[in-house]
Amino acid sequence: MIVNSSAIVARGLGIRRRRRWILRPTTVEMAYGVVGLAAPAGPARSAVLQTLATLRHASVGELEVLGQDVTRRAGRRAVRARIGLLPARFAWTSGLSTRDFVAYASYYKCTPRRAVDAILERFGLSDAAALEMDMLPQDLRLRAGIAAACAHEPELVFLDEPLAGIGDSEREELIPLLRALAPAVVVTAADPAELSGWCDQGLSMVRGRLVEAPCVPRPRARVPAGV
Amino acid sequence: MSDLGRVLRIDARRTALFLAVPALAFLGAVAAWRALLPGVAYWDDAVAALFSSVCLLGPASAGFAAWVALREHRLDYLRGLTARSPALGPLLDLLLLGIVTLCAYTVVAVVVAAKTMIHVEAGHPKPIGPLAGALTLLVYTVLGYLAGRVVPRLPTVPVVAVLTYLWGAVRPGAWADLLPPPGIGHIGLFAALRTELLAGQALWAFGLGTVLVTGYLWALTRHVWLALPAVAAAGVVTGTTLWLHGQQRTPPVVPRAFSYACRQWPLTVCVHPALRAALPSLEAGLTPLATRLSGTPGRFVRVEHRPDNDFPRPGRGVVYIHLGDLSPGYAHRAEQEIDISLLDARTCGDPRHAAGAHYSALVSAWLLDEAPPRITDTVAADDFARWDEQRRRRWLRAHYARYRTCTLRGRDFRVR
Repeated sequence: MIVNSSAIVARGLGIRRRRRWILRPTTVEMAYGVVGLAAPAGPARSAVLQTLATLRHASVGELEVLGQDVTRRAGRRAVRARIGLLPARFAWTSGLSTRDFVAYASYYKCTPRRAVDAILERFGLSDAAALEMDMLPQDLRLRAGIAAACAHEPELVFLDEPLAGIGDSEREELIPLLRALAPAVVVTAADPAELSGWCDQGLSMVRGRLVEAPCVPRPRARVPAGV
Repeated sequence: MSDLGRVLRIDARRTALFLAVPALAFLGAVAAWRALLPGVAYWDDAVAALFSSVCLLGPASAGFAAWVALREHRLDYLRGLTARSPALGPLLDLLLLGIVTLCAYTVVAVVVAAKTMIHVEAGHPKPIGPLAGALTLLVYTVLGYLAGRVVPRLPTVPVVAVLTYLWGAVRPGAWADLLPPPGIGHIGLFAALRTELLAGQALWAFGLGTVLVTGYLWALTRHVWLALPAVAAAGVVTGTTLWLHGQQRTPPVVPRAFSYACRQWPLTVCVHPALRAALPSLEAGLTPLATRLSGTPGRFVRVEHRPDNDFPRPGRGVVYIHLGDLSPGYAHRAEQEIDISLLDARTCGDPRHAAGAHYSALVSAWLLDEAPPRITDTVAADDFARWDEQRRRRWLRAHYARYRTCTLRGRDFRVR
C-alpha cells in the first residue's frame, strides 16, 4: 500500500554485495522534507543511495519511491524523471565550462537548453557560467553539480555528503538552498552532527540497518535570509 | 549545433576520442605494415595485412572502449536518471566509439591500399575483405564497452585487452581459425582468398555485434521487439559458425588465375605479374649462371617462377624458382635455388660423399659468384682458383655428372 505522506517507503529492503549484506532487510519510511542519513562514507552508503535512486536493484524487499513501485521496470522508468542524484565526489568533464556541464545534464533531463541560464541563475552560478569546472572553488563546484542534478526540478533529490569539505560560511549559504531543492531531499553525512539542526527526519545506518535517529530541527533564526 | 550534437561533442571530449583516433590508427598501421610483404603488393595480401592489424587494433579498441565505459559509468547520476530512454547514453557511447574505431581503421586501410597501389599490384580489390575487418573491429569495440559497463572496475580494461588479444592469437581449434579475425597470415602470390569465406566472416561478425548490442539494449529497456533482431542475429551467428566449421577441410585460399610476365632475352625468365619489377634483376643475375652451365646437362634457357608448394623436376632446359617477396638479395636467392636444384639431394646428403660434397660446394661457389669455401684439399682449391673462366667451363662440361652427384675427387682437379 502506498503511503502518500512518504516520499520513500522500503519494506524488507535489503542489498547484498559479494554474499555480504550492505543493507540488511529493513523497513523504513522517508517523509517529504529533508531526511538526514548518517552513515560512514564508503561503498555501502553509496549503494543504499543508488538503490533508493533506482540506479541499483535491491536484493530483497519492496521499494516505493514517489508512489511508484520501483522494483518493477515501469515504476522505475516513471520515477527516474522525477529524481535527482548527486554522488559524493561527483564526476564532471575536465575542461568543460559550468554552462556546458549544466547544458549537458539538461539534455538528459529533457530540459530545454534555453532554461540553462535560468538554472544557473537559480543556483547563483551566472557569474561562473563561463568558468571551467576545474577552476571553480569547492562550493561553486557543488552548486554546479546540484544544478546539473536538479536541472529538471525533481521532486526527490539525493545528495551524498554534499557539505564535506565546505567552509562554515559557504555551508550557511548552502543549507537553505539544499532545503529548497525539492519537496523531498535525502542528504547523507558521515557525522550525524553535520545533519542535526536542518533535517526534518533523521536516519542512521547501524550494523547494516537503517534506523530512525533523533534530528533536532535547525532554528529558523540561524538561516540567513534571502539566500 | 543541435542539443544532441553538443552532447556528442562533450562526450567526445570526455573520452579523449580525438586523441584515440591517431593513436589507434598508428598502432594499426604499424601492425599492417609489418604484415605486408616487402617489395611486392597484391590485393589479397593487403586484406591479410588488414586482418593482422585487426588482431592488434581490436584488443586496443576493446580496452579503450572498456575505459570509456568506465568513465561514462561515473556519469550515470546524470545519464541514468533521465526521462529519456535508458539506452540513449550507451547508444551514444557506442556510436562515438564506432566512429573512432572506423576512423582509425580507415586510416590503416588507406595506408595498406596506398602501399598496394604504389607497388606492382596483382589481383583485384575485394571490398568484402576490409568490410569483414571493419565489422570484426566493431565487435571488439562492443565487447570492450559492454565489459566496462557490466564490470565497471579499472582491471576490466587490461583484462579485456588481454583476453581479446588472446582470441586473435590463440584459437582453441583449427576450424576456429576461420572465425574473425581469421589467422590467414600471408597469402601467397599464386593464391587468392575465398570471397565466400570473407563474406561468411563478415556476416558472423555482423551477427555477433548485433546480438551483443540488442541483448544489452534489451537488458536496459526490456523492449520485447528487440527479441526479433536478437534472435535473427543469433541465427545468423549459429548458421555462419556451422558453415565456417564445415569449411575447415577446404583451404582458405584458392589458386589464382594469372598469366606470367616474361622477359625473353638472353634468357626467358617468367615470373608472377606481381613480381614484374624483378625481371631485370633476375635476368641479370641468372644469365651468368646459365652461361656457365651451357653445354652441360644442367643447361637451361627458361626460368619459371612457381608457387611455394610446387616443385617440378627441372629438365629440358627449364628451371624453377620460388620467390615470395622481393626482400634484398632475392636474385641471388633465386640463383642458389637453381644451383641446389641441379644437385642430387640423395647422393649429396650421403655421408660417404662428404668429401665430394665439399668439392661440389667449391664449384657451386664459382657458379654463384660467391667466395670459395675452405676445403681440406687446398691443392684442388688452389688449382681451381688459378683457372680462368673458359677452362673452368670446359672442366665443368667434362665433370658435370660427378658435380651433380657430389662424387668429385681431388684428382678431378689435377687435369692437365
